[in-house]
Amino acid sequence: MATTNLPLIETITPADAAAVAAAVAEAARTDAAVYPIGGGTALDYGARPTRTGVGVSLAKLNRVVDHPARDLTITVEAGLTIAALRKKLAAERQRLPVDIPQADRATVGGAVAASPSGPRRYRWSTMRDYVIGIHAVDGAGTEFSGGGRVVKNAAGYDLCRLLTGSLGTLAVITQVTLMVKPMADTAAVMACDLGDFDTAERLLAVMVRTDTLPVAIELLAGPAWRDDPALGPMTDGAVGRLVVGFEGSAPEVDWMLESLAGEWHQCGVANPITVPSAQVEPLYRRLTEFPVGTPEPDGSAPLVVQISVLPSATVAAVRRLREMMPECSLEVHAGNGVIRGRFAVAPDAAAAMLRERLRPLVTQAGGAMVVLAHPPDADLDVRSVWGPPGDGATVMRAIKERFDPKNLLNPGRFVY
Amino acid sequence: MTRASVSPLIRELRAALGAAQVLSAPADLVAYECDGFTIEKHPPDAVVFPRSTDEVARIVKICNRLGVPVVPRGAGTSLAGGCLPIGGGVVVMLTRMKQVIEVNLRDRLAVVEAGATNVALGRALSGTGYHFAPDPSSQKASTIGGNVATNAGGPHTLKYGVTVNHVLGIEAVLGDGSVLRVGPIDNPAGLDLIGVLVGNEGTLAVVTKVWVRLTPNPADYRTMQVIFETVDDATNAISDIIAQGIVPAAMELMDRGIVAAVEEAFAMGFPLDAGATVVIEIDGPSAGLDEQQQRIVKLCEKWNAREVLYAADAKEREKLWQCRKMAVGAVGRLSPSYIIQDGVVPRTQLPRVLRRIGEIAVKYGLRIVNVAHAGDGNVHPILLFDERDPEQVERTLAASGELLQECINCGGSVTAEHGVGVEKIRFMDKLFAPADLEAMRRVRQSFDPSGCLNPGKLIPSAS
Ligand SMILES: Cc1cc2nc3c(=O)[nH]c(=O)nc-3n(C[C@H](O)[C@H](O)[C@H](O)COP(=O)(O)OP(=O)(O)OC[C@H]3O[C@@H](n4cnc5c(N)ncnc54)[C@H](O)[C@@H]3O)c2cc1C
Repeated sequence: MATTNLPLIETITPADAAAVAAAVAEAARTDAAVYPIGGGTALDYGARPTRTGVGVSLAKLNRVVDHPARDLTITVEAGLTIAALRKKLAAERQRLPVDIPQADRATVGGAVAASPSGPRRYRWSTMRDYVIGIHAVDGAGTEFSGGGRVVKNAAGYDLCRLLTGSLGTLAVITQVTLMVKPMADTAAVMACDLGDFDTAERLLAVMVRTDTLPVAIELLAGPAWRDDPALGPMTDGAVGRLVVGFEGSAPEVDWMLESLAGEWHQCGVANPITVPSAQVEPLYRRLTEFPVGTPEPDGSAPLVVQISVLPSATVAAVRRLREMMPECSLEVHAGNGVIRGRFAVAPDAAAAMLRERLRPLVTQAGGAMVVLAHPPDADLDVRSVWGPPGDGATVMRAIKERFDPKNLLNPGRFVY
Repeated sequence: MTRASVSPLIRELRAALGAAQVLSAPADLVAYECDGFTIEKHPPDAVVFPRSTDEVARIVKICNRLGVPVVPRGAGTSLAGGCLPIGGGVVVMLTRMKQVIEVNLRDRLAVVEAGATNVALGRALSGTGYHFAPDPSSQKASTIGGNVATNAGGPHTLKYGVTVNHVLGIEAVLGDGSVLRVGPIDNPAGLDLIGVLVGNEGTLAVVTKVWVRLTPNPADYRTMQVIFETVDDATNAISDIIAQGIVPAAMELMDRGIVAAVEEAFAMGFPLDAGATVVIEIDGPSAGLDEQQQRIVKLCEKWNAREVLYAADAKEREKLWQCRKMAVGAVGRLSPSYIIQDGVVPRTQLPRVLRRIGEIAVKYGLRIVNVAHAGDGNVHPILLFDERDPEQVERTLAASGELLQECINCGGSVTAEHGVGVEKIRFMDKLFAPADLEAMRRVRQSFDPSGCLNPGKLIPSAS
């Protein structure tokens, strides 16, 4: 089990959804907080919890309930690991095309609750677009379901999307039905170094008009990317790298590589890097793991944030970040306007860095910022982690109060 | 509603919007007593035509204070009675808010007022190389707000997803008259309110403005029409194509009955004796399309496809789609009244459910013809009847109920894209447990504590 800052009195491991419900009901009776635990990869995501409570591990809910492969759906219990899910799907040449870090430990329920972001979201979006059915236990210990087992469903409100990304604050997810996709025949990646930020913006504008269909458009900058095993060393003086992924049938992918090379050539990119197919998955894995990844060179844990802006504001924001903090490393889903940044910082200086340096920049760019990971001892409050409450805060609070009236589920960690 | 309570309502609405924006004469209200679902009718107390989000907010505040229902309405093409003013109230027409405010290609989005039609957005995008992917057959009339409120789909949903996959931001007026704006920047700091608002059928908020995602137009297409001897062969072929991991852009099934109607209307030259015709389209970069097409044709041949006709050019493709999209309208030639049903099953259950629909038609002595977004398992049986004959209406409703129950029995749902409205509210407790419905009620109360937004729709009230 992962080490965590969660204030746990004990951790229990119920055997099924009914036992989860009983555990939550018991916690509600005694007014103890409930911390759902999947693979333990994102337990420190969010602000510091406000109350001691019981850890509810989903480890025993790890069955594949049903995999009607010909329907391209699968129903699994929440504690199944992403790696096990992938294995099951791969046997039918299927996949869940969402990039999820630490797949060996991360669970399906955890991935739904925390909804991570990865390079291939440009084409394949995030968990919200794959969960078609859900079973969960609310803050009173009542089991409920939403959605169903069909890929298209307009019956009632979308409780699947309501729970996806809710960080386990509305209900403990016990089972989900996912829509899955066929595996791609082949994948390829093409990249080029960027001499300056104007070139970066010019090439990204090209990516909007391209005849090709990228699955990932990543901009990489900073020391972490100076020498990637798949991409080789970055040219001296380059401000970053543009990495574009394709997938599909072999003729399709070949055609797209050739076309993009042509489009880039017209913009003065002479020798794009083509990543050999065997190295494509490992590269995606490094991109996916970037926020969790390795510690800073001195062994300390970095502050990792995710900034969202409009795609057109991305390069300007990246430029300012790099100028302001030359030691930071950035992995940018440039097609989506999502910037993930790692910053070395002393634990007691993290809050100030967020408040004084990063937030003003984000506000000026008209964006939003959340903290993905932080040094264990950095004591970050709700506003430091999630930013100012938005327009929807009142409705969100109203929903929270109705699903978890005693505020038992992950108290303090999310936006409420 | 008594006269005494109507008058202050009208007075206040006129004061807020100007008399010209408010209809209240009984003769003017008749046109709003139902939508595309014509079996139930009830006139509203007033119809208003706001021109801005601010005016919508004022209307909702007035209604809220006076305890009057608010019924949002776009083009009124709902097939589920979503716009039916069950117990009166104020119909809020969004149709004067129809600007395409911005087309922003660099960010691949467009900002659209709720009352703009789907096709008007399409026109605004023509020549840009982009389009708004949801393409309901009603797209010439239906509004973006209506598409959002019903999470509309269309033939190309199979590859491109439904409306919720294409909404980046929403501006809406909540039940208390406050204005909510979410998106267009994706912010993980909070619940997915867009995900919840899409498909809300006017019960959580009046949507006034939408930021939609733009999808690049495919570089190339292969569109074909495959003729099968039997519906069974067709559905088995469709199921095989999906199971093989091929995801066409669209796979639309039309059975013999609907083909007859289409032929009568458009004389496309479809064979009248074939069991089913399936329009299959694949799209993307030209490279690889032919190979994919061959794989599809092989699978169709395995299921005894009698003939495969290829659209030779853009014009032929356009004509084929026109005719698929007008198919439902063509049914008007066959029958004075009809109900377009909307059910969905796991894709492999398609053969079973279509067989059962055939049996149900025989059992009730009704004519039922079928179109289906078959690749998604989404069936649209169309039940033909005569509204003037109460006995026929009775039988039609009973048959509708039975075939929806069959969808549930197959592990499916009673609506894939048309919504619950009033029509399907009695099926909600067959599909969901009491705790599931209670969870939905909580969502509703959170957005609309006073319950003035489109009451009596979507979820049955707690017993
Ligand atoms: C011939 C025909 C073919 C059709 N084909 C399809 C199809 O292929 N796919 C499909 O999905 N549907 C289809 N439909 C159903 C219908 O067209 C869609 O549901 C469409 O999205 C409704 O849009 P509208 O503007 O007509 O909405 P309306 O009918 O006016 O309203 C629909 C519902 O949404 C609510 N609503 C409308 N506007 C707003 C708003 N701005 N804010 C909040 N709530 C609002 C209403 O209260 C109502 O509950 C078809 C209908 C017909 C008649």
